[in-house]
Amino acid sequence: MGEATANPTPVIDLSSVHKRYQTERVDVHALRGIDLLILPGEYVTVMGPSGSGKTTLLEILGCLSRPTDGVYRLQQQSISDLDGDELAKLRGEEIGFVFQAFNLLPRLSAVENVELPLTYRRVSRRERRERAMDALDRVGLARRADHLPTEISGGERQRVAVARALVNRPAILLADEPTGNLDTKTGEEVLALFDQVHADGNTLVIVTHDPKIGARAPRCLTIRDGLIDRDIRNGEGGGR
Amino acid sequence: MEAVRQAFRLLWAHKVRSALTLFGLVWGTAAVIFLVGWGAGVKTMVETGFNKTGKNMGQMWAGRIGEEYTPAVDRRHLWFTWQDVQYARKRTRIATLVAAEKRWYLPVTAGPKAVKMEIRGVEVESQEIRALPLAAGRVITQSDLDHRRRVTILGADARLDLLGPGGRVGDRIRIDGKSFEVVGFLERVGTQFGRDGEEVDDQIWIPLSTHVAFWPMEWTDDDVISYVLYRMPHRDLADESEAELRRILAGRIHVGPTDEEAIVGWSPVKTLRAIPLDQQDGVMYALSAATLVIGGIGVLNMMLDSVRQRRREIGIRLAVGARRRDVLLQFFLETLTIVGFGGGLGVLLGVGGCLVLEALALPDLIPVPELSLGVLGMALGTMGGVGLVSGLVPAWLASRTDPALTLRAEG
Repeated sequence: MGEATANPTPVIDLSSVHKRYQTERVDVHALRGIDLLILPGEYVTVMGPSGSGKTTLLEILGCLSRPTDGVYRLQQQSISDLDGDELAKLRGEEIGFVFQAFNLLPRLSAVENVELPLTYRRVSRRERRERAMDALDRVGLARRADHLPTEISGGERQRVAVARALVNRPAILLADEPTGNLDTKTGEEVLALFDQVHADGNTLVIVTHDPKIGARAPRCLTIRDGLIDRDIRNGEGGGR
Repeated sequence: MEAVRQAFRLLWAHKVRSALTLFGLVWGTAAVIFLVGWGAGVKTMVETGFNKTGKNMGQMWAGRIGEEYTPAVDRRHLWFTWQDVQYARKRTRIATLVAAEKRWYLPVTAGPKAVKMEIRGVEVESQEIRALPLAAGRVITQSDLDHRRRVTILGADARLDLLGPGGRVGDRIRIDGKSFEVVGFLERVGTQFGRDGEEVDDQIWIPLSTHVAFWPMEWTDDDVISYVLYRMPHRDLADESEAELRRILAGRIHVGPTDEEAIVGWSPVKTLRAIPLDQQDGVMYALSAATLVIGGIGVLNMMLDSVRQRRREIGIRLAVGARRRDVLLQFFLETLTIVGFGGGLGVLLGVGGCLVLEALALPDLIPVPELSLGVLGMALGTMGGVGLVSGLVPAWLASRTDPALTLRAEG
């Protein structure tokens, strides 16, 4: 779909990205030279066993950490050139996160959670509320706007999280095991939501070890030992 | 606003801990205001207590020649005469006033009452030095002194004892059988910290000239007086004033000017100087500030704990675009809110406590805390310092949070 566009500019461009961690006992070489291009509108899943480095990859894509080595260009901008504040701005404007554990702030209502990324931009209170309500409406939860996360179901929480991720109209939506804490049925609802988000033209990268999700997305990367092992494109659309 | 709400949520979420922490802050701030204010009150109390019978006043009287100054076993008694004092008054260059007083116990009668009381011979200058306000009537004048008039001024209790509440100017009393006209009444003085004989309220004043004429000493024809009073131009000149007068008076009675047994000196100024009032202020402040610092440690601990518990929240905020300084500011404002809230209550408590004590009609010379801008500034300044330190450390730690680590799905 998206990749068929003529001469597209990649949203994400990784070349020989390495990431090493220094823990107390051992050095972890989590990524060992990743080359990856993701084009606008792509829907990519990243699969692989535990410890393969897929979450680390997602953190780098999301500018939560920087590569130890190699170059990461997001929207053609090399993030190595950016300072902390510029990275924060990038996270706020170009990236939306969805986590396995939902990561909603428990004391804020659904709509306040969705507003959160806007509070760090210079957006007026009224516009924040309008945009947050729009985003909630898109995930079908406008009527839950004033509920606290503890007052809604797991599937609904994750949809609120998706609304929060989309409220800034980011260049890319990143999700880390978004269905990991959900039962099959609600997980299915969230995946359907991702399909819809993809159909709206958003770029998605989803880390998972659920093969069903992998099979559903147009493009499926497999990571093993810090390297891209396979990069499979599943024909037109996602097979159900 | 968000930070303020969050701060109160935090307080509300851990009620017991918050109560203890706030207690430390409230109590600490109140203690600074109350204790520092109280220190100021004690200072005022001590100063007024000593200054009641004469501000910037000094006194001297003659004793016996010091042991180091004479070989005699039976040391000679000394006295000053009125003429000595008049001489000193002319010669002194430092003291602004010099005067004599003579005190003697004599039987006094008024109507059916007969009491032995302290009769004090005074001069115009001695009344000026003591600067005691009159409740009624007039002071003893130079004319009274010149004519050795039989006029008298009564202290507040002497008036009540002799004349009762109905006593008035123009009444007469008998001193040692001689009739005197009451020309004035002294205002009540109350507790004195320094005194020479009876308290002023119990004294009866008459012209010194009348005193020396009616009741001379048996052993000499001199006009013997009891005290030399003087006023120094400034409290900083206490030593100089005393030294000069000693020199002048020592020559008159032929003793060494440094013989402190021959000429005994006392001054409320020097007594006050010997009381460590300024150090007391420091101690009060240190004690109360320590309480506030302990409260601050409570806040620090609470905020550190909060930062630990909210690492995920911090991670989320960073992930959705918060800059590190946004996080820093958020936690700092939270701390300031808590400190400001506790401190505000403390200020209310401290100020309220001071005002309540002030409103109670406490007996004379019980120290009452004094409120001043300085005291408030001290409390607020200390509070600000405590808030700054206990706020910056957790806020800085919060802003150092690594969002990647806190957001891992395995959390």
